[in-house]
Amino acid sequence: MKKLLALVPFLFASMAAQAADEFHLYNWNNYIAPETVTRFEAFCKCKVVQTYYGDNEEMLAKLAAGASGYDMIVPTGNALEPLIRQGFLKPLDKTQLPNLKNVNPVYLNTDFDKGNQYSVPYAYTITMLGYNDQKMKELGIPVDSWAAIFDPAILAKIKGKVTVLDSANELMAAALKYLGYSVNDTDEKHWQQAKDVIMKAKPYWAAFNGTSYIKELTVGNIWMSHGYSNDFFQAEQDAQAAGRKFHIRQGLPKEGAVLALDNMVIPKSAPRPDLALKFMNFMLEGKNSAELTNLIGSGNPNLEAMKSIKPEIAKNQAIFPDKATLSKLEMLKDLDSKKRRVRNKIWTEIRAS
Amino acid sequence: MYKRSNWLWAISAAVYAFLYVPLLIVIVYSFNDSKLNAEWVGFTFDWYRKLFHHDEMIQAAGNSLGIALVTSAVATTLGTMAGFAMHKYPSRILQLLVLTPIAIPEILMGVSLLLFFVMINMTLGLVSITFAHIAFCIGFVAIVVRSRLAGMDESLTEAARDCGASPWQAFRLVTLPLIMPGVIAGALMAFTLSIDDFVITFFTAGANASTLPLQIYSMIKIAVTPEVNAVSTLLMGLTLVLIVVASKLSPNALRS
Amino acid sequence: MARWLVSGPPLLYLTIFFVLPCLIMVLASFRSPGDYGGLAPLHDENGNLDLSFDNYTRFVSDFIYAKVFLKSLTYALTTTVVCLVMAYPVAMLIAHSSKKYRDLLLLLVILPFWSNFLIRVYAWMIILGPQSALSRAVNAVLALFGMQPVEMLFSGFAVIVGLVYVHLPFMVLPLYANLEKHDPALLDAAQDLGANAWRRFWRVTFPLSLPGVFAGAALVFIPALGIFAVSDILGGTGGIMIGNVIKQQLLETRDWPFGSVLSIILTAVALLVAGGAAWVARPKREGVEHV
Repeated sequence: MKKLLALVPFLFASMAAQAADEFHLYNWNNYIAPETVTRFEAFCKCKVVQTYYGDNEEMLAKLAAGASGYDMIVPTGNALEPLIRQGFLKPLDKTQLPNLKNVNPVYLNTDFDKGNQYSVPYAYTITMLGYNDQKMKELGIPVDSWAAIFDPAILAKIKGKVTVLDSANELMAAALKYLGYSVNDTDEKHWQQAKDVIMKAKPYWAAFNGTSYIKELTVGNIWMSHGYSNDFFQAEQDAQAAGRKFHIRQGLPKEGAVLALDNMVIPKSAPRPDLALKFMNFMLEGKNSAELTNLIGSGNPNLEAMKSIKPEIAKNQAIFPDKATLSKLEMLKDLDSKKRRVRNKIWTEIRAS
Repeated sequence: MYKRSNWLWAISAAVYAFLYVPLLIVIVYSFNDSKLNAEWVGFTFDWYRKLFHHDEMIQAAGNSLGIALVTSAVATTLGTMAGFAMHKYPSRILQLLVLTPIAIPEILMGVSLLLFFVMINMTLGLVSITFAHIAFCIGFVAIVVRSRLAGMDESLTEAARDCGASPWQAFRLVTLPLIMPGVIAGALMAFTLSIDDFVITFFTAGANASTLPLQIYSMIKIAVTPEVNAVSTLLMGLTLVLIVVASKLSPNALRS
Repeated sequence: MARWLVSGPPLLYLTIFFVLPCLIMVLASFRSPGDYGGLAPLHDENGNLDLSFDNYTRFVSDFIYAKVFLKSLTYALTTTVVCLVMAYPVAMLIAHSSKKYRDLLLLLVILPFWSNFLIRVYAWMIILGPQSALSRAVNAVLALFGMQPVEMLFSGFAVIVGLVYVHLPFMVLPLYANLEKHDPALLDAAQDLGANAWRRFWRVTFPLSLPGVFAGAALVFIPALGIFAVSDILGGTGGIMIGNVIKQQLLETRDWPFGSVLSIILTAVALLVAGGAAWVARPKREGVEHV
């Protein structure tokens, strides 16, 4: 009993602390540099309260069930569509966003938000291959094609040392690209072909893994992964810090890949949309935007930011691809409920055997 | 008391080893001078130092502890009542109502609780998390208490009643002490379930509330740094201290 | 009157915080998924109630989901049996220990579970990984016999290890609570009558402990059936559990109605198995108390 009483003031204290000016940011894990947060807090004279999600779907599920209290969310393009369609978002007051001009026009006016009525680009990642360069050279594995994870002839050499993402959308997209189709192809015959490709390659894979492949690559248990560009950047940094003799390199397949553009949006239920707009404009400033890229190697849609990005990152083709490569990258579109059911059935069949 | 055979000791020791090897890795690696949590590099207190500056993590850990204590207290009370009722006045409905929260997938319960809270306009936060935790812990306590009651000798309570005790006195002075090990076991279980819950907490937490499992989950992608090991070690240590203090205050709680 | 005083509060609490939320989801299982998430409106364009059994028939027609169910049942059953075998000696030891050690031993069982779930499972990734001491030892032994090295991590074996590890205390605690009450006089009597240690255990202790066994089995089997995190982290490509499928319905596919159906079926199966086991354990002999 005494224990309980001792903790009651604790609970009250934490609740009272929330009376100050607060900006609630609901963001991906590790998707903003701590220095940026501190600087924004000084700039707006407010407190930034962060909550995190690891997946668009988690965030969508919470919002669909009615969760509120967030001032800003950072969904990927294909998650932005459902948010707009369900009417969750507040239209942006562009007069408060003078820094919008800094953004690379290539990333504006996308299919999922024409005219950028609700969203502003934040950062992007590309889903690609990440590998242990020493092992790949030793075994003579080509690292510029999806064949590295789909071709059984190649896979036989690296059996049990490959992981792929645990995401129906991403893996199907990779298989569709390998077959020469668009990632947004909704022809069910093509989906069956993609499924066959996956099933043939599956026996050679170690696991479907979306979270710990960074560590497994760095430690050397896994030699080839299907994953996100900034994760591989992280893996390489960790590997060098741990004194490994190999490097973790990024391989952008020549058939093309998925580009995931994350955007800042303001929910209709935001308690402080004014702070949200301030934050948006703040993040559209070149040097603030660059901090994230310098920290985690994420792609940056902000042209002003290029001036403040470390040169070795700016030159990295896998993070800032040239025009030719960019044309082969596609953004995933959301599917309607019938297609989602079909896809889930295929995915369950893939995972359950 | 009869002699325990050696093989009982041996097997138990093996089981304890099974339980503790991963834990030792967690503790030992909290002092590991490497971000990776993969192999031993060198000794350092850095992670503990970083932890003390990591306000979010400390707040989350505090929240978790507070929620777990409240949950344990309330769920144990309600669960003991339920377990007692299930034993004395068996009814299909009560049994179903108590068992189903355990059987139902956490993720469904999480989403449905969120929908429910939104429907009744409850603000999401530490309180909503606590309500949710109590709901799924009651069943665990009830089952343990009931199984304890099932093995109990009824004649003692009957004798007390024969001597003129009211039902409440009989319960308080005879039954309750006899089932105390079951109640304590249930309380421990409820505490454990609450402090470590992720799925239900994820859905019922508001924009302000964070618990330790949520905080840790949010860090998984970036390779779980040893800071998490440090906070786990500290949390275990703190809970251990609390329990030891509590047991000194009520030394016969675990015995009948 | 006393009856309602005792069963009232828990009933009330559970009705508010469990039954009502569940009714929402049960209703959802008859509706259609919203095009972009959530649920479709209750009334469709013509103003008719959009309710049907479609989601349920889908479970039958898309057989793959039932297959995943069966696999989860096997995993949960295996986990329960292994937990029972491992927990029983420990529970016995604690129950028969002197007062001085009993609390300590019990605490030691539970202590690891106050660290964090994810951390403990990740620790198993280290223990079972190909570069760990254990892996190397095992593979060295296998090499002696001329066999191929095995991958312990990312396999069904790793998932079972993880599941057992995560559920073990929930088997120990109920068993302990039950065994602690056993009257040593019964065993003394059995010994006097000439029964050896094994017979004393099998004919006296075990039957008396059945309520604890079933309580523990229920507390392990039922959650193990619906869990998803362990196989996500430790599992290979070899197969997902129904918990993962339900999670996918609620998150990636945003198909709450179907997720609801799968959950209802899962809950029903779990309750049936628990109820069936309790029924099987009903007293067939006189003088032995059961649940």
